[in-house]
Amino acid sequence: MGKRKDKDTQGDKKGLTRRELLLGATGFAVATGAIVHSVSAQTSNRPNLEGKELAMVIDLQRCTGCGACAIACKNENNVQDGVAWAWHETRTTGTFPNVQYEYMPTLCNHCQNAPCVRLCPTKAMHKVAGGITAHTPEKCIGCKSCIAACPYKVITPNKKEPHKFWKSDEQLFAGASDSPKEVVEKVGGDTIPLYNPDREQFLEGSGLRYKGIVEKCTFCDHRVTQGKLPYCVERCPTKARIFGDLNDPNSKVNEILSKYSAKRLREYLGTEPKVFYVREFNPATYRKSKGSV
Amino acid sequence: MITDKKMTRRDFVKTSAAVGAGIGLSHLFPLRAFGQDNGAEYTESGEWKPTTCQGCTSWCSVQAYVVNGRAIKIRGNPNSNVNGEATCPRSHISLQQVYDPDRVKVPMKRTNPKKGRGENPEFVPISWDEALDTIADQILSLRNGGESHKYMLMRGRYSYMRDILYDRMTKIIGSPNNISHSAICAEAEKFGPYYTEGLWDYRQYDVENTRYMLIWGADPLATNRQVSYYMSVWGDVLDRAEVAVVDPRFSVTASKADHWLPILPGADGALATAIAHVILTEGLWYREFVGDFTDGVNRFSVGREVNEDDFEERHTHGLVKWWNIELKNRTPEWAAEITGLPQEQIVQVAWGFANAAPHSMCWVGGGPVMQIRGGYLSMATHALNGLVGAVDNVGGTLAPNKEYSGGFPGPGEYMDEIAEAGVQHEKIDQRGRLEFPAMKKGKPGSAVVTNNAARGILDEDPYDIKVAIGYFNNFAFSCPGSERWERALSKIPFLVHITTNASELSWFSDIILPSGHHMYEKWGFLKSAGHGYTHVTLQQPVNDLVWDVKTDETEIPWLLAKKLEEKGFSNLMEHYREYRDPETGKIPENEQEFALFALKLATRKLWDPQQYAGGDRINGWDDFVQRGVWNSDPYPYRDRWGAMKTKTGNFEFYSETLKAALTAHANKHGTTVDRVMEVCNYQARGEQAFVPHYEEPTAPGDKTEYPFEWVEYKSRLSREGRSANCSWFHEFHDVDPGNVAWEDVATINPQDGEKLGIVSGDTIRISSPSGSIECKANMWEGIRPGTVGKSYGNGHWAYGRMAALEFGKTPRGGNNNVIIPAEYERLSGATVYYNSTNVKVEKVT
Repeated sequence: MGKRKDKDTQGDKKGLTRRELLLGATGFAVATGAIVHSVSAQTSNRPNLEGKELAMVIDLQRCTGCGACAIACKNENNVQDGVAWAWHETRTTGTFPNVQYEYMPTLCNHCQNAPCVRLCPTKAMHKVAGGITAHTPEKCIGCKSCIAACPYKVITPNKKEPHKFWKSDEQLFAGASDSPKEVVEKVGGDTIPLYNPDREQFLEGSGLRYKGIVEKCTFCDHRVTQGKLPYCVERCPTKARIFGDLNDPNSKVNEILSKYSAKRLREYLGTEPKVFYVREFNPATYRKSKGSV
Repeated sequence: MITDKKMTRRDFVKTSAAVGAGIGLSHLFPLRAFGQDNGAEYTESGEWKPTTCQGCTSWCSVQAYVVNGRAIKIRGNPNSNVNGEATCPRSHISLQQVYDPDRVKVPMKRTNPKKGRGENPEFVPISWDEALDTIADQILSLRNGGESHKYMLMRGRYSYMRDILYDRMTKIIGSPNNISHSAICAEAEKFGPYYTEGLWDYRQYDVENTRYMLIWGADPLATNRQVSYYMSVWGDVLDRAEVAVVDPRFSVTASKADHWLPILPGADGALATAIAHVILTEGLWYREFVGDFTDGVNRFSVGREVNEDDFEERHTHGLVKWWNIELKNRTPEWAAEITGLPQEQIVQVAWGFANAAPHSMCWVGGGPVMQIRGGYLSMATHALNGLVGAVDNVGGTLAPNKEYSGGFPGPGEYMDEIAEAGVQHEKIDQRGRLEFPAMKKGKPGSAVVTNNAARGILDEDPYDIKVAIGYFNNFAFSCPGSERWERALSKIPFLVHITTNASELSWFSDIILPSGHHMYEKWGFLKSAGHGYTHVTLQQPVNDLVWDVKTDETEIPWLLAKKLEEKGFSNLMEHYREYRDPETGKIPENEQEFALFALKLATRKLWDPQQYAGGDRINGWDDFVQRGVWNSDPYPYRDRWGAMKTKTGNFEFYSETLKAALTAHANKHGTTVDRVMEVCNYQARGEQAFVPHYEEPTAPGDKTEYPFEWVEYKSRLSREGRSANCSWFHEFHDVDPGNVAWEDVATINPQDGEKLGIVSGDTIRISSPSGSIECKANMWEGIRPGTVGKSYGNGHWAYGRMAALEFGKTPRGGNNNVIIPAEYERLSGATVYYNSTNVKVEKVT
């Protein structure tokens, strides 16, 4: 009956400061339908993504801030406790009783001009077809240059062996409950009982990561290469995430981006993020007034 | 090697990865090229199988993605007309529950005879045979000693297979004591709708057709009911409807609303009656439902009585009486002071709400009603739906649609003399006594008073409980005044717990029987309503069973019946043998067959084309299993106008239905309704008891010693208190506004924090007259000054190694139910969770 450590691998989820968020939000909104720069992909093993410019639009009015996207992401990609490929920034503003709360889902922006790619000394971090910022574990030397370079803090190092909890052979009740290790042995799976084998087939390496490398969102390359939507998009209960090809003038993402003034995080850095935010988390109405002095 | 087709993709990747890592080939020969070069189509390795989520009482129909008998993902079941493909965040956490290493996997027995919080039970594993043998002996010993009534069955969360264990087994053994959890759920929420429109049920809210939502102490985007459905449409709802949220805490729904009304806890009755006052004085009521003055001239003006004959009602009853008895002086000015809300805001909301009539609604959750004086708050808030004609109407509040699931064979002929005598005894929860009217559907003494069972046990009043079984429950954690349950459970000489995890209740048990997980390891069915439909959705054992666990509501009672039969008492088994397979007529021969046949029997009208009664047309049992869900016919709007199940058939602003019920209860005890009001802590006297009205808020704890008001709420990730041994619950804890990841925090307004010298991150002690807990503080503008808020779900000292800081000893954070005293809304029997107590807050140094 021992203690279980809970946050040994919280990772670097420092997130963005409020000021940074605001800078991103108030930065010059690009007329996004026009972004058609080509991507120089290093590899061409994703034939169905050739010539595509994948992007995600997050409709904040639909988003209710539930976190299902990020939980589902961990589920799909076998992500360990304390690490998140998809996350969120929240803030409460105002003073009682005039209070507002905002929730902004975050993930790798798959920047066109990705600083992580530029700074990676081994080309482990690289761009591939579809504009995906991909990562090859075998080439990763764990130098964390990408982490330092990423303005969005969406890359996480594996400082320790992931999923270590599931290697434990400690039982709560001897003979009446299982150790984590026994659960995996009995249930199946690999390292973790929830192991998703679909992930390994298209992630370069395996369905799991290991100590000494970094990891991040891949836009669910294992799914999108098969014509399936990223899992966070599929599982969002509010349909707040819309995914598609910016190079297709008729795509849903372009339709939405033509209707709303979109925001991207920290656009002023020139990273050309491929995650766009439209509408407001709270579109509240108010009684018309010119105010008072 | 690469073209060896016998090799699985998985093996290939593993091998290649190893090679690749060694000699750097993976860069030159990208792994993915394999599948594509060979033209092998990627197919998902699993299949989606339907089941039902019980992470809250939405009961969403879902599908589990199953790989080789192992469920690894969850999505909404597209066949459901209620939630469709949508499924909320807590559904995914069920996956961490089912593979929780700390689950009990085989039966255990206690070896330390001493019981108490500080006594380690020293559980050891035993066989099912030994466990059932011991339980059967205990039950028979009670029966043989003429004490069958001293057996008790405690039910927590359930499926509709419940009656096999909860009702039939308890009755055939011979006890009146089947104690459900219903009163710690939200029975007071049904009180208002019943005594106005004759509906003892939760409502559906027609959000896609509404133009104004006034939401009282409910947080539908986070918790209960139909969370997945409401979340899925909210973004569009906001384009059409104005939304106002009444809650001392800035809830998730408040963050997605137009107006936040941070009311003082318990003052909802003042706001509701003031809104009614505005609607009447301004002539804004919906005439097609309510009627009008005979000459069309509005006579409702402040302080003036109206002649009942001047008003002709249509589908309502007693409007003018309500005005004269209660509303005539309930001005917004008066309410502003009581509620702590600006007068202008009250008036603005009243106008907005009424202007949208009849496509406007009051959404009443547990907040304003699970309070000491919540019965009339339930009526007052719901009565507004009557004024605007929202009841049973487009864009308003709806009843569940009709569905056709059935029950099980009756126990009657299997109840012997012992049983017949046993069930005549008074129930252990003391329902029906003068101070516990507990009037479900107008019948005094018919509703459970769950939390008072602890007092019954402790005081041995009406008698002592000697043998008890609890399932899918954890009253030592989930009931306010939880310490009382620790003592009560310690006092029961023989206690059995049917559970997935060794929880706080298990700690006091003599035997633990490991239960299958409701979503992955059980046959059952659930019914719930939303989106204008009722669905009946199956729970299916989609996982291969790898542990020696049994289904709580079916397999375990069957196995127990078998044991009892072996020992000479065969009535229960003879009864269960009646549950024949409706397709083949086969009598069940083992527990698995029994579970399946019972389910097929209860749902037959939904899947058997020969017995079709309505809704989806399903072509046989296999078809039902594959779809996983049956949907009702669409909602018949306004069918109940003029045909409500009240005394008058109309929507009662003056409740003849409540008058009859209260009078019956008073007569039963040879007293007056005024006396009933008094012992039930209500202030109403005379005619006021029969109309929705304002009562002064009251909560335990002297304000000089306990200066803050306690605001309880539910986390959007808490699976009814059962998420705490799952890492995602903690890791994503901050998706509840005000909460912090990996911490159990109480939110305090910064103004108060400054006065107390407390800053975010400080460890604090929160105390009430009932007890103390420790947690972290979080300074947050979203909580009303003078109140302290905290979500339920943390504070386990058992349940598992992540749930507790140290299993059996130290809780992780604090359990709200330690500090919430055991109080009741006595007219419904409901337990009080909101406006429940005053507290003090101290920094722990």
